[in-house]
Amino acid sequence: MQQRRELDQVYTNRKLLNGQLDTPKWWAPTVSILGVIVLLGLIVIAIMINKGLGVTGLSRPVYWGLFITTFVFWVGISHAGIMISAILRLTQAEWRRPVTRAAELLTVFSLLTALVFPLIHAGRPWRIAYWIMPYDVARGIYPNIRSPLIMDPVAISTYLIGSSLFLYIALLPDLGNLRDRTAGWKNAMYTVLALGWRGNPRQWKMQTVGGILLSALMLPIFVSVHSIVSWDFAIAAAVEGWHSTIFAPYFVIGAVHSGVSAVVTMMALMRWLWKWDDFIRPEHFDALARPLIVVATGWLGFTFLELTFALYGQDAPEIALREMQMFEWPWNLLFIIFFLTAYAIPVPMWLFKRVRTNIALMFWTSILVNIGMWLERFLIIVPGLARRTPFVYTWEAYRPSAVEWTIFIWSFAWVTFLMLLFSKFFPLVPLFEQKESQVFTDDVMIGRAKVPAIVREAD
Amino acid sequence: MSTQSILGLFQQPEPAADAMDGLKEAGFELGTFDVLTGTPYPEGAFGEYVPQHRLFRFPAFGAIIGFTLSVFLTAATQLAYPIVTGGKPILSIFAMLIIMYEMTMLAGVIATVVGIIFESRLPNMKPGIYDTRITEGWIGVVITFDDDSKVADAESVLNKAGALEIKHA
Amino acid sequence: MASEAIAHESEHHAPPPQVAAEIIARELVATTTGASGRFKVWAWFLGIASIAGIVALVLKFIDQSDDSTKWGYVAAMVSFLLSIAGGAPMVAMAPVMAKANWVRPVTRIASLFSFAGVATIIMLIPLVAILPPLVTEGARRRTIWYMAPDYSPHVWTTLSLVLLLVTGIALFYSAALPDFASMRDHATGWRQRLGKRLARGWVGTDSQWRTLRMRIGMFGTFYFLILVFVNFLVTSDFGQSLVPGWRDAILPMYHTVSGFQAGVAGVVIALYFSRKYMKLEKYVHLDAFWSLGRLLFALTLLWIYFFYSSFIVFWYGRSENDIATLNLQVRGPMMGVFIAGMVLIWVVPWWILIWNKVRRGTGAMVVGSFIILVGLLLDRIRTFVPAWSVPPDQIHERWLKVIPEAYWPTLFDVLIMAGGISMVAFIVMMMTRVLPVLSVWQVQEFNLLSKPIRYIRGHATLVAKPD
Repeated sequence: MQQRRELDQVYTNRKLLNGQLDTPKWWAPTVSILGVIVLLGLIVIAIMINKGLGVTGLSRPVYWGLFITTFVFWVGISHAGIMISAILRLTQAEWRRPVTRAAELLTVFSLLTALVFPLIHAGRPWRIAYWIMPYDVARGIYPNIRSPLIMDPVAISTYLIGSSLFLYIALLPDLGNLRDRTAGWKNAMYTVLALGWRGNPRQWKMQTVGGILLSALMLPIFVSVHSIVSWDFAIAAAVEGWHSTIFAPYFVIGAVHSGVSAVVTMMALMRWLWKWDDFIRPEHFDALARPLIVVATGWLGFTFLELTFALYGQDAPEIALREMQMFEWPWNLLFIIFFLTAYAIPVPMWLFKRVRTNIALMFWTSILVNIGMWLERFLIIVPGLARRTPFVYTWEAYRPSAVEWTIFIWSFAWVTFLMLLFSKFFPLVPLFEQKESQVFTDDVMIGRAKVPAIVREAD
Repeated sequence: MSTQSILGLFQQPEPAADAMDGLKEAGFELGTFDVLTGTPYPEGAFGEYVPQHRLFRFPAFGAIIGFTLSVFLTAATQLAYPIVTGGKPILSIFAMLIIMYEMTMLAGVIATVVGIIFESRLPNMKPGIYDTRITEGWIGVVITFDDDSKVADAESVLNKAGALEIKHA
Repeated sequence: MASEAIAHESEHHAPPPQVAAEIIARELVATTTGASGRFKVWAWFLGIASIAGIVALVLKFIDQSDDSTKWGYVAAMVSFLLSIAGGAPMVAMAPVMAKANWVRPVTRIASLFSFAGVATIIMLIPLVAILPPLVTEGARRRTIWYMAPDYSPHVWTTLSLVLLLVTGIALFYSAALPDFASMRDHATGWRQRLGKRLARGWVGTDSQWRTLRMRIGMFGTFYFLILVFVNFLVTSDFGQSLVPGWRDAILPMYHTVSGFQAGVAGVVIALYFSRKYMKLEKYVHLDAFWSLGRLLFALTLLWIYFFYSSFIVFWYGRSENDIATLNLQVRGPMMGVFIAGMVLIWVVPWWILIWNKVRRGTGAMVVGSFIILVGLLLDRIRTFVPAWSVPPDQIHERWLKVIPEAYWPTLFDVLIMAGGISMVAFIVMMMTRVLPVLSVWQVQEFNLLSKPIRYIRGHATLVAKPD
C-alpha cells in the first residue's frame, strides 16, 4: 500500500537538504564524540602495529579471530547497498526511492572499513606491499594469483571502485540541486562536482539507462565479492567446517540478510535524526521487511544444508567440531544467541504487518539480526581453528583482548563517523528520485476505489 | 553574429509542452531547443527530441580491454615467476578466471561511467543559460539561435504558451 | 509534426490494447474447443511416444531390475522432469508475490505444468525399487538419514513427490476456480458440466476473492518449500549417496535453481506455441516475453555461479575424494557431455539473451529456451548417469577408487527419455482442452489494472498497484 503524499519540490528540497543547508543541533556533538572514539581506535591500532600482534588474543592455533570475523561482517554489510539499489532499480520497485542512496553509501563505507582489518591483521601492514602490489618487475617476483588472499583484494577493490562510481553518477542531479541552493565556496565546490548538470532530456535519459546498466553490471560483482571472501575459507581442505561447496552462496545470502537489516537500521535512524517522516514512511519498512523474510528463510535453508552435508560424510573430526560448536561451553551459548537473534526472534515477528510498519520494532529487530550475523561468522571461523587436533604442539584457548575489542568498536564508530560527515555535504535521500516518484505516481479510480498507480514508460 | 539563447520558464508541464509544440510549428529545427527539468519525466512527455545514445558500446569496449589485460597479467606473472603452490599447475586457468572476471567487470564499470558522463555531454563547465528554480520544479524551455532575427519569434511562442519569465543570454 | 509522431511510434511499442471483459471470457473459453488438425496430430504423436516410454520402462524393469548401474538415464529423467514440471509453477508464484502485472496472463500456463508431475512419479517408481537399501553388508552408507529407518529414502522421496504434485494441483485449482465458473457460464457440453461441478458455486463475492488470494499465497509458499525439499531428497538419495566420498552441499540448491531455469524455459516454449497457434497475441503481450527473458537471463548466470562455486572448492581441495568427485562428474567419461551441457545451458543462451532485441521478441527467445532445455538434459545426464554407474559394492569405500566407464543409453533408455519428455508436453496440451490456457480472470485483471495513457505529450501505461 502506498501512503503517497503530494509534496511540492520546494518543500522536498528544504527537507531533504536540511543536513547540508543548515546543521542539525545534534550533529556537531555526535560527530565530536565519534571523532574521539575514532581517534582512540587509531591510537590503539598504532600501538598494536608498534608492539606486534602479541597484544591481541591471537595465538596458536587460532590465528584468525575477531579481526577476520569483523572483516567478513563488514563485507557482508556492504552487500546491502548494491543489492537494494540494483535489484530494485532493475525490477522498477517504486519503494526503492528513499533507500538507494543510503544503501550505496553503506556499501562504500563498510567496504572501506572492511579493508582495514586484513591490513592491520597482517601485523606489519607495510609488508602488504609485497603481497598484493607492486609488481616487482626488477626481481621478477609476482603475487601468487592462485591464492584467494590475492583474489580477495582484487574483488573488494573492484567492488569499492564500482560502487563509489555508481554512487557518484546517481549523485549528479542532486549536486546540481545543491549548486542551485548554495553560495560561496560551497557553491564553487558543487559547481565543479556537478560537472555542469542542467537536467535536459539527454542527461536524464543517461541517468535512467545508465543506472539500469550499472545495476546490471554491479550485481554480478556483488555476488562475486562475498563468494571470494567465502573461498578464503572454503578452499582450504585442512580446517574442518570450512571445506564446503555451499560456502559461496551461503555467505552471499547471509550477507544480504545482514546488509538489508543494516539498511533498515539506518533508515530508522535517518527518519528520526533528520525528521524525514514524509519521505521514509512505514510502508518502506514494510516493503523492506517482506523480502527480508524470504532472504532470512533462504539463509536458514542454506545453514541447514551446510550442517547436513557437514555431518553427511560421517567423519569423526567433522562431527566433533559440530558438537563443539553447538554443545560445548562457551560456544553453545554463542550458538543459541546466534540462532535466536539471527532468525528465531526477528523473522517470526516480521510476519506481522503491525511489526513491519512499526519503526521502533524494525530498528531493534534489525540490530538483533546483525548481532546474530556477526556471531555466525565468528562461529564459522573460530571453532574450526580452536578445536584441539592431533599434532598441535601448543594449544591455547582464544580470548579476544581489549585491543581487539577496541578496534572492533572503532569500526562501528568509524562507519558512523564517515556517514555523518558525508551527510554534511551530500543528501542521504536522492532528491530527484523522490521528485520522480511524484511525477510517476498517480491514483486511478477503479469503481469507487482509489488505487495508487505508477506510470510506466512504454518500451 | 554571436550564438545566443533564451530560456522560458514555466511552472506546469502542460504549458511547457505547448511551448515545445509552438516552437516546432514556428519552424525551429529539432535540436535547437530543449527542455530543462528538475526531475525525469517519461520520455517524450514534452514531445521533445528523443536523444540517441551509444551507451551500450562502452561496457562492451571496457570489458574487452579489461579481459585482455587480465589474461596478460594473470598468465604472464605466473609464467614469469613459476613456483608451484598447493599442487596447482603453473597456469591455473580456474584461479585465473576469478581475477579475469573481476578485472573485466571493473573495466566494464569504469567504461560505463565514462560513457554515462560522455553521453550526458558532461563535464560542461559553461552550461549556458539556466535558472536555479528548475531544481525547484519549474520547467525551462531553452532555445539556441545562430540567427538573431528569430529571437522575437521564439519569444512570442513562449509568451503565447504562458511563460512566466523569459531570460536572455 | 506528423513525422515526429511516427518517430515516436517506432521508438516505442504501441501500448497493449484494451479488451472488454466479456470478450476476454468468450474468446479464451473458445480456445478450449476446436483444436486444429496440427494440434491433433501432435497430440497423437506425443501420446503414443509417452505410452512407448512407459512400455520401455516396464520392459527395462523386467529385464534389468537386478543391476542398478544401468538405471542412470532413468534417474536423470526423474531429475529433468522434476526440473521442468516442478520449476515451471514457480513462475506462477514468485512474480505474483512481487506484484508484477506482466505475469498475470502467464500464471495459468505455468501452473498447468504441475500436472506433468505425474510423469516424474511414473519414472520414479522403478527407481525406488532399485535404489540400494540404507544398510548393506551390515554397515550404513553415507546418507542424510543418519539414524532413520531403513526404508526412509525410498518412502520419503516418493511421498514428497506425491505431495509436490498434490500441492501443485491445489495451487492450480485454487487459482482456477473463477475460470471454472467462466466455463460453466460460457462453455458447452462436458466442459460446462465440469465447470459447474468444479466451480463450487463461485459467483465472485468479495469474500470468495479474498479466500482465493489467501489460498494462492498459502499454496504458493507451501509449493516452494516442498519443491526445495524434493530437490534436496532427489539429489541426495538418488545421486550423492550412491557414490562413495561425493559430498557436495550445494547440489540441492544447484538442482533447484537450474530447475527454475528449466521451468521458465518450459513456460516460454508453451507460451510461444499457445500464443501463436491459438491466436492469443491480443492477450499475451511482448511484455511477458521481455520479463521472462530477463528472468531466464538471470537464471542462466546463476547456473554458472552455482556450478563454479562447487567446482572451485573441489578443484582447490585436491583431497582424494575431491579429485574423485571431479573425475566422476566433470573430467571423466562424461566430460564431453558436461561441456556440451555447459555450452547449451550457459554460453549460448547467455549470448542470445543478452540482446534487448531478442528478449523483446519471441522467436529467438523460444530457440534459446529449447537450447537451455537440451543443455539441462545433458547436465542431468552427466550428474546422475555416472553416479548410478558406480557398482553398489563400492559404497562403503572412503572415496571412489575406480571411475566407472561411461554407460551409454540403450534403445530402451532413449525410448524412456523420449517418452518422459513427450508425457510432459502431452499433459500440458491436454490440459489446455480442459481450461483456457490463459487465466480468464487474470487477463481481465491485467486489463483492469493497466491502461495506456497519454502523459502530457508522450505515451505511457498507467499500472495500478492494489495492495
